[in-house]
Amino acid sequence: MSLDDEELSAKIRRHATRHTAPDALRAGIRTQIALAEVGRAPHPRRRWFDFGSLSFAHFGWRTASVSFALGLTAALFVLPVAQRWNLQQPLDTELVADHVRALHSGPIFEVASSDRHTVKPWFQGRIDYAPPVFDFAAEGFPLKGGRIEHVRGNTVATLAYARDLHMIDVFVWPSDAQIEPVRSVNRGFNVVHWADGSMQYWAVSDVEGAELLRFAQLWKAQAAKL
Amino acid sequence: MSNRQAFERLVMPHLDAAYNLARWLLRSDQAAEDAVQEASMRAFRYVGSLRGEDARPWLLGIVRNTCFTTLERARSGPQQVEFDDAEFEAALGAADPGQSDPAAQLQRSRTRVQIDAAIRALSPPLREVIVLREFEDLDYAQIAKIAAVPIGTVMSRLSRAREKLRDTLSQMSLGE
Repeated sequence: MSLDDEELSAKIRRHATRHTAPDALRAGIRTQIALAEVGRAPHPRRRWFDFGSLSFAHFGWRTASVSFALGLTAALFVLPVAQRWNLQQPLDTELVADHVRALHSGPIFEVASSDRHTVKPWFQGRIDYAPPVFDFAAEGFPLKGGRIEHVRGNTVATLAYARDLHMIDVFVWPSDAQIEPVRSVNRGFNVVHWADGSMQYWAVSDVEGAELLRFAQLWKAQAAKL
Repeated sequence: MSNRQAFERLVMPHLDAAYNLARWLLRSDQAAEDAVQEASMRAFRYVGSLRGEDARPWLLGIVRNTCFTTLERARSGPQQVEFDDAEFEAALGAADPGQSDPAAQLQRSRTRVQIDAAIRALSPPLREVIVLREFEDLDYAQIAKIAAVPIGTVMSRLSRAREKLRDTLSQMSLGE
């Protein structure tokens, strides 16, 4: 039995699944748009330097040499300082300190929600990248909310998850590295770090190391589906 | 009319169509939701540029681009093949029509599972034209504009997609 185009067409139209947008998605989009409108109206975003109006043809080699000189200056003066600072305090120590401070004096989340469609748009306008946000309530790691941390001068999206009575902080910022989850221990806290070619992640918590690694694997599996 | 009002009036009514396309292209609820949310924000930003133009193909174009960016980022291998047998087997196996259904409904949901599985297994460019043509009822010119390819390419993709679907469905009915 072979179908002609019209029969096939009719069959698809009649039987194939038509997916409908979940209500939570509609609500999330409306929230995000409301936030975007509120965020935009009173503070028109102004750049200190308008790259759009700058064309290479206008400035030619002068721009290139000035840029090169600036880059060289940065390399000569900033790098050694940054490296020394790096040696003084490893990143995981700093993140553990952020986690502890948030647990002590709060807020552990500035946006409290278990709905990823509320948490994800909350970051818009606060940071210049869109971190993936997942909820793993079914796997025992419910999403609790999110906040912004300042890590080494960067504004970093931080997601808070619960595991029974423990809190897990996930610090997310862009990176093009690919790193399999590795665990380290810092002042009794477990730190699991991984990167998936788009973002890098640092999960910090006092849950058992194996649990935190499992969380990282869940995350990786979910992110791979994107 | 503010952007927000324009978005609510012009874009929101087509959210099901947007989600359906994203869900078929990305084959995952969560990925589709993220893509539609991202595409919606882009649509919100540019809704002002939509002067009397039909909003549905315009929105589907944005959704489609977002989805293909996601697919490229994931660099999923199956994009290279036109029909993914492993995916097809998995999709067919995952959906169980259920035991308590009366016979007619059972047959009907079996047809649905088979057709869904066959469409799911098509490569994204072929799946795209099938969804736009059969679900959204768009014409060749509209599909060509959305997918940014010539009309001839749309026609050849559509006929390849139909060929694959026909083969798969007839093989399945032989097996029954």
